[in-house]
Amino acid sequence: MNYYAGIDIGSTAIKAALIDDEGKIVGTHIAPTGSSFHKNALDTFMNLLNQHGIERQAVKFITATGYGRKLFKEADDSISEITANAIGAYEAGKAFGGVRTIINIGGQDSKAIQIDVQGNVSNFAMNDKCAAGTGRFLDVAARNLEIDLEELGDYHFAGRNAPLTINSTCAVFAESEIIGLLAKGHGKQEIVSGIHYSIARRTVRLAKRVGIEDRVYFDGGPALNKGLVAAMQDELGRELVIPEHPQTTTAFGAAILARSLFLAESKEEA
Amino acid sequence: MKTIKTAINNIDLRRFRFWLQLFFFALLMYGGYFAIDLGSRLPTFACAFNEAGRGGICYLFPLQHQLGVPSSRLFSWAGLAVLQGLLIFSLWFFALNKAWCGYACPLGTIQDWITALRNRLGIRYSRYSQGQFRQLSRIKYLLLALMILIPLGVGAALLPHEMGTPFCDICPARMVLPMFTGDFSQLTIDFSSKTTMIMTTLGLLITGLFFTGAFFKKRFFCFFCPMSALHYLLSKPALLKLKKDGNKCTSCGDCYRVCDMEIREIADEVNETNIMQDDCIMCLKCVAHCPEPDALKATFAGIPIFSSTEQGFIKRMHKGQKHEQQ
Amino acid sequence: MNSSEADTYYLSRQAREAEATLEQLQDDFPDNPQAMQYFYDLFHRVYGQGEIIKHSGKLVGTTCIHAPEELIYAFGATPVRLCNGSYHYDQIGADFMPAKSCSLVKATLGSLQAKAAVPNTQSLDLIVNPTTCDQKTKASAMMSAMGYKVEDLELPPAKESEEARLYWQRSVRRLATRLRELTGNKLTRKKLQHAMARTSRAQTAFRTLHQLRKSAPTILLGKDAFLVTNAYFFDDIERWTAAVEQLNNELLQRQQDGFQAAQKRAPRILFTGSPPIFPNLKLPILIETSGGVVVADETCSANRMLYDMTAVDEWRLNDMVDSLADRYLKPCTCPIFTRNDDRQRRLLQLATDFKVDGVVYQAFSGCQVYEMEYRSIADALAERGLPMLYVETDYSPDDMGQLSTRIEAFLESIKTRKRQAL
Repeated sequence: MNYYAGIDIGSTAIKAALIDDEGKIVGTHIAPTGSSFHKNALDTFMNLLNQHGIERQAVKFITATGYGRKLFKEADDSISEITANAIGAYEAGKAFGGVRTIINIGGQDSKAIQIDVQGNVSNFAMNDKCAAGTGRFLDVAARNLEIDLEELGDYHFAGRNAPLTINSTCAVFAESEIIGLLAKGHGKQEIVSGIHYSIARRTVRLAKRVGIEDRVYFDGGPALNKGLVAAMQDELGRELVIPEHPQTTTAFGAAILARSLFLAESKEEA
Repeated sequence: MKTIKTAINNIDLRRFRFWLQLFFFALLMYGGYFAIDLGSRLPTFACAFNEAGRGGICYLFPLQHQLGVPSSRLFSWAGLAVLQGLLIFSLWFFALNKAWCGYACPLGTIQDWITALRNRLGIRYSRYSQGQFRQLSRIKYLLLALMILIPLGVGAALLPHEMGTPFCDICPARMVLPMFTGDFSQLTIDFSSKTTMIMTTLGLLITGLFFTGAFFKKRFFCFFCPMSALHYLLSKPALLKLKKDGNKCTSCGDCYRVCDMEIREIADEVNETNIMQDDCIMCLKCVAHCPEPDALKATFAGIPIFSSTEQGFIKRMHKGQKHEQQ
Repeated sequence: MNSSEADTYYLSRQAREAEATLEQLQDDFPDNPQAMQYFYDLFHRVYGQGEIIKHSGKLVGTTCIHAPEELIYAFGATPVRLCNGSYHYDQIGADFMPAKSCSLVKATLGSLQAKAAVPNTQSLDLIVNPTTCDQKTKASAMMSAMGYKVEDLELPPAKESEEARLYWQRSVRRLATRLRELTGNKLTRKKLQHAMARTSRAQTAFRTLHQLRKSAPTILLGKDAFLVTNAYFFDDIERWTAAVEQLNNELLQRQQDGFQAAQKRAPRILFTGSPPIFPNLKLPILIETSGGVVVADETCSANRMLYDMTAVDEWRLNDMVDSLADRYLKPCTCPIFTRNDDRQRRLLQLATDFKVDGVVYQAFSGCQVYEMEYRSIADALAERGLPMLYVETDYSPDDMGQLSTRIEAFLESIKTRKRQAL
């Protein structure tokens, strides 16, 4: 039995995915990137193998993606996270009836990708200059409100008033705005939902640049935040397809590609 | 095959044109001496008044005569002669389209010689403004209309008989072309009646205008030529065509710069493929000066015979520079 | 630059920036053509060591390709294109320019302010500044304030009308008058002919190079082509022409030998937009290190500068000057004009002729005209089924990571598309 791996080396977290000969997911693993990402990437990969009792030699091809893709020497090839995300979403999206638009909100960036019926990237847009529409904004908010990231979703639905408008265009400046709102006596719930809407609006603007077509797939860590998902659906005016493990779609896509590349190479050699 | 094509596309058009124009000039002006007669339905000036040397007669002469016969005869079976004349004219015309103007017409050739003289003397030419161009361009249609209506009027006894060939009376070819066979008899005012006096005076004035105009403007007379107007009206089915591939056009305007007739559409039109305008004399200078391969071409029955090429352009520009540097 | 500055020039920041790019151009790619050594050495000597290129007559700086260089040559002066590509000067310019302005203008003004830039701009006798985009137009007064003699070359904002054409012809004539005052020379037919012949030879050499890049597989990488055309900004024109002709010969030989400069399946890219100016060749280099190859371009630091040729009917002085004026206005596809039909047509024709797989559209942040045109260009290309990547960037080296993700994703999507089309 051959296995194929995809490693998504992001700025905050490293995600690894393992698939088998049939392209089915065997397992995934997530760990923080930390400061020495090469070592951590290797560790994450090996941890994943150990979890499922698989030998290193059984993994025939590793594709790396994400910001650290070029420097992970263990990998056999590297690919941009846009292509990897598209492949992963296309495959995962089959279970939902097929997806055409992918929205990814990561730790430090966000992207919108449009794919055609065959899963090829036809257009994409990225926001990697500003943290305001990314997971970082959620981190900042959670810290300032002194709540856990995982609780953000609950707070969103617990509000009794309308979501507050967050005016700052910058996630860093928003900190002072949040503190100010708290001081004025506004509830944390409304602040949280306001932040979710702020991110949602920004992201939808980004998505409109590539054109939004059903179905829309939403991945990246923040997709676990049900409050954010609700805000996004509201702004988009349609339902989103959320996978069970949204952080690992890109790594999964890289693994799928690893398999395709390996099979193509073997065919060439034959 | 490819080398022939390349050789043609790179030819020195100026020289080719010079010799071809000389050939037609000799044919039409002196052919008569060699018993050459190409008939009287030619789509180019080949003046009937050049009695000694003419190798054929310009269609406008018999056309005016035919239209000038008494109306009762004209609008009867005898009128078929007009259609027959038009048919033969058209057949001659379809072969070369308006290249008759650029390569065969003796009056055109004379203007080109005058232009060459001016160039030698170092005097600059003048260009029309767009507004002037548009207005002047219409005059030839007016002349064509008058050329047809006045004889009809004569035939209907509404106008004096002496006005039967109104265009020939004012045409500069009548006065200029016979000069080349030593016949200066046309350079007179005919005092036999008031009408002839006016018409021939007008003719002399226009001939004077012809010479001065041709000196300062390239192909001055061709803007006003009723033959040109007649050509254009019949030009659709002609075999020789001027074609443009707008996709390849860079709007550099080189074609417009070198065009004797200052036709803007060659440069500006990017959608139509057939770009010959009513003023065009099909000298093909535009094709010769286009640096974009296959953007402009002359086709005969659909087959490209002369296309714009980069090599041809560069060769001609270098030649032009060297030629002038001597 | 005084002699002690000249001795330590190579230590300066702009020199180091230039050397870094040169290193990339040579070392990151295998099998550079032998004839390119001339250009690598040229940039090393001029940008890395501060060598001054000898010129004859007055030195006239130009800020745009709209300035008719033949005219400048004909008056016995030497033109030098001032458009600057250095991040170092961009930062100097940022001191007095608005934050959101175009890097190119900031760098150009920065280098003029610094007065110690290459290639030897401190001894400029005149700057000819065509009034093209807003920022270049406003730069006129700023350059005057720096102490330079500036001649505004008035360019019409639309080029279709007869009025625009005549206006531009008059502008060019006025430039001729100004040049006569500057140089004290008269414009004669012979001198202008000679100038036009030299430029025409350079343009012919470029056209040959341009046509050779149509080869599939590629025989020359875009990073070298851009370096060659960038050299035209300041190099001696006859030496440049000879060097390009030598390059062409070598490329012809390559073509016959079946030599490949890039992978067979490398996506063929058409590069358009804000001009890559040495040392800011980061985007073409990035495309080519990521596995693509730039086979053609529509930028004013390459194709647009040298492609169009002048036709003259009668070699009279007035006809020649007007022909030159027409050539510098009519075919220009710069986005400063009202319409961009010509640019769309040119891009589509280039895409066809060079069998292009995709288009990369570079717009400098703050370049409003290029930014505004990108939509219409993207639509025109999409109609033809050509994918386009729009990249907004500036001279700072900080965005390499972001750019590489985008470029790689774009190239990957092209490769996938091609693979599936088979």
